[in-house]
Amino acid sequence: MRTRLASALLLAGLLAAWEAWCRSGAVSPLVLPAPSAVADTLWGEIATGRLWPHLRVTVTEMALGLLAGTVLGLGAGILLAEWPALHRVLRPYVLASQLVPKLALGPLLILWFGFGLTPTVVITALICFFPLLENTLTGLEQVDPGKRELFRMLGASRGQTLLRLKLPSALPVILAGFRVAIVLALVGAVVGEFVGGRQGLGASIIAAQSVMDSSLIVALFVVITAVGTVVYEAARGLETLILRRYARG
Amino acid sequence: MPTDAIPAVADGFLTLEGVRYRFPGDPADTVAGVDWAVPRGAIHCLLGRSGCGKTTLLKLAAGLLAPDAGAVRIAGAILHGPSPRVGFVFQAPTLLDWLSALDNVLLPVSLRRRPTAADRAAARDLLAAMGLGDLLERRPAALSGGQQSRVALARALIGAPDLLLLDEPFAALDALTREELQDDLLRLCASRGTAALFVTHDIAEAVTLGDRVGVMAAGRLVHEAAVPLPRPRPAGIRYEPVFGAACRALRQIMDGPAPSVGRAA
Repeated sequence: MRTRLASALLLAGLLAAWEAWCRSGAVSPLVLPAPSAVADTLWGEIATGRLWPHLRVTVTEMALGLLAGTVLGLGAGILLAEWPALHRVLRPYVLASQLVPKLALGPLLILWFGFGLTPTVVITALICFFPLLENTLTGLEQVDPGKRELFRMLGASRGQTLLRLKLPSALPVILAGFRVAIVLALVGAVVGEFVGGRQGLGASIIAAQSVMDSSLIVALFVVITAVGTVVYEAARGLETLILRRYARG
Repeated sequence: MPTDAIPAVADGFLTLEGVRYRFPGDPADTVAGVDWAVPRGAIHCLLGRSGCGKTTLLKLAAGLLAPDAGAVRIAGAILHGPSPRVGFVFQAPTLLDWLSALDNVLLPVSLRRRPTAADRAAARDLLAAMGLGDLLERRPAALSGGQQSRVALARALIGAPDLLLLDEPFAALDALTREELQDDLLRLCASRGTAALFVTHDIAEAVTLGDRVGVMAAGRLVHEAAVPLPRPRPAGIRYEPVFGAACRALRQIMDGPAPSVGRAA
């Protein structure tokens, strides 16, 4: 509680200093808008309802990209963990696919899918894929050899060993990967819109930049941060709920 | 090699015949030709220092490893893999953290079919027989080391196996808890007629539990003998002179220049 109070006070102090600096006239509002101007702009966007379609687009891209990336990353992780030979063959390709800067794929994806939702969803999915894949692989390979031997002794099938031993054991590691993916998904959606978006929070930032509306840009930062915080906390809550069922104790 | 040294081979439930095993890449056999037989209902102990091959031998007996030469038989039939008639208790309890004590005990059943009310009752009885009747719903993390070992023992017994294979299951426990678990094991095996092959490096444990004790060194069986103690073991037997004498005799064999002497009956 005390630390929360301290955090809030620090925020208030920083905002006050920022406001004072802007009002002193030392800096042009075009370069750095005052917090009060940002708040006005933000309120205007909310009150006129201009914000909602953009928010909806970005959240949709994020959710679809996260879903696709999670399903693919989890699936590929399970596949590669269960067939180590396949893993050895595909390892360099998986790595290469992650070393390609995914934003650089943007122009190509726009050629393939056109402007709009799809290229951003694809970029987001590609970004979310890797932490899920890595953590699923790591988690599944870390399963206690003694417990694998137990399952062999009990005559468990491969599917049973996967579903009833490996996946539950790996769950904390997989969920940690999901938490990383969720943060990256927001980055992917916003930055993806920079390249190929017509709508969404990222596309709005580009639009605001073209008319030099810096207070709108900062207002959009605030919205994006709020979305990220809400989604991250939701993921944490979900994680706690699942781990209460599956983790030790 | 005197074949009369293993009188139990003929009527053994578990028989090992000239079993050899070498880990890939190893220069020497980890198990270098072992004959052994455990009759129905008997408890045999394998005693040896760390690295003598006794755990490997136990895994061969379980069908978790396949012998390079020789054969493992259960009730006369050659073993080709883990058998549901055999329960295994590992060095660590290897309980699943996310299941209750009761569900951990039911795991062998639930991997084959949906547990029935009768299965649940059997699991409850087993846990109650080991003094865990009030802890059925506890997760492993909320159980002490001794309680976890008891759950692991109950899990190995739930399928009413004819044979238990135990790999130093009590080695990590304190002395008092270990003695309680030894008594539990003896009681449960006797009441169910379960045979057991118990691997340990603790001489007193081997003498407490075993009808016969075999001593292993460097992958070979260097000695075997019946334990001259009454069955069931009377309370306080661990403090009788005859118990100490049996321990001392085994200790001398373990210390001696054993492998060159060959098997002494």
